[in-house]
Amino acid sequence: MTSAGAPLAQALAEALQPAHTVRLTERIFVPNLANFAQSALHHDLSTNLLVRGLDAVVHVAEPLPGDSEEQQIDYLTRCTYNLCAAAVAEGVRRVVLLSTLDVMTAYDEQFTVTERWRPKPTAAAPILAKHLAEFTCREFAREHKLDVAVLRLGRVVQADKVVSQPFDPLWVAEADVAQAVERTLTVNTGRWGVFHIGSDAAAARFSVTKAKSGLGYAPVHHFQPG
Amino acid sequence: MKKILILGGAGMLGPYVIPALDQNYDLRVTDIRPLDMAFRGEFRQVDVAAYDQVLDAAAGMDAIINLSVLRQDRQLAFDVSTLGCYNMMRAAVAHNIQRVINTGPHFTVAGATYEAFDFNLSTDMPPQPGTNLYALTKSLGQEICRVFSEQYDIYVQTYLFYIFRDPAELTPWPEERPWVLSWKNSGAVFPLGLEIPLEKLPSRCEIFNILADMPHGQFNNEKAKRILGFQPWNDLAALWHKSVRQ
Repeated sequence: MTSAGAPLAQALAEALQPAHTVRLTERIFVPNLANFAQSALHHDLSTNLLVRGLDAVVHVAEPLPGDSEEQQIDYLTRCTYNLCAAAVAEGVRRVVLLSTLDVMTAYDEQFTVTERWRPKPTAAAPILAKHLAEFTCREFAREHKLDVAVLRLGRVVQADKVVSQPFDPLWVAEADVAQAVERTLTVNTGRWGVFHIGSDAAAARFSVTKAKSGLGYAPVHHFQPG
Repeated sequence: MKKILILGGAGMLGPYVIPALDQNYDLRVTDIRPLDMAFRGEFRQVDVAAYDQVLDAAAGMDAIINLSVLRQDRQLAFDVSTLGCYNMMRAAVAHNIQRVINTGPHFTVAGATYEAFDFNLSTDMPPQPGTNLYALTKSLGQEICRVFSEQYDIYVQTYLFYIFRDPAELTPWPEERPWVLSWKNSGAVFPLGLEIPLEKLPSRCEIFNILADMPHGQFNNEKAKRILGFQPWNDLAALWHKSVRQ
């Protein structure tokens, strides 16, 4: 699991630990993490060694705090490519990429936008970079080199910490994201699969119908306005 | 005269593009390495992966032509072909430059999943570069250009090339090649792209196959002829004649 410095990655690792052995990695040293390996995700043997023996890679793909716009683009293109190429070289078949539903928010809110709709990223680095990571992974899947599942996440929150905040239709509970990742590692999602991961409430911005049927995703936290 | 910034001008295409533009435009040619040719304009050493350098070089320009490319090394390929496009488009936004001409190889769009299967390939189809480093890094750069053109009032024309030959040194290939153009003919398309009224482009992001009229028809250059007025020369035709191959 990449981006070990991100709170989301640490939460996901903790949630997956009972059933999975999780190796965490980050481009910088992150203290107090079990089974941590620092990796710049360069094109060298160290990236191969990082993924050797794994069953799957969960590419959380979160930039480091303070990353410049160029560094964000670089991380999600070049490093994603290196990670996928290393996975191919080491026989790791499955990659789960955590992307963002922000690549779909340019559509009219009144539309029922699904995974079949064309992404409409903006040029803002955090959103464009996620789109480019999807682009990169898709080519590995297209060439039958990897089985890639893309989970486009809403705004990940801890449910109990947003009770008093103004409602956001993109909210998704961290625990539900962990469940989606766990389900993705468990079921066969084929060579290329994209899933929208959010709340299943009526007021949620995006439908999670495909994730429910394809992954068995069953979100627990149903955020509602007011 | 219009002021034109050329990125990567000391590469393979520069010696053909610069002479094609030198008399009618004020050129600011840049590259990370020195340029070994004479022309009227200014040369600056610029690393396209360094945003500040690209931003500074783009100041006061009317258009940007991106000829930069690096194929083999992973770090440099992403720096030049992907980040370079990102920096170029940000600089175009910052300086209100509406006209951008990008370049790349044929498999920016038509990777092996097209080339190995299909014919009459044009550019108006979803890109399938595959995982080839050169193809993917250029295709990511093209995707960056497309996204910027959707958000900002910038018109990006992308010219795709494949194999270049010199008519003076024609030797037959051991196997068929799908796409070829003479080096000098490649330079002829750039003035067309700088002069076409932007409103005559069908959209703010258009890709063109730039190749000779080849008889086997695997790739299609009709769009470049129809919209840009590109005229392929007949200087390489001997390559596909039996008399030369025997």
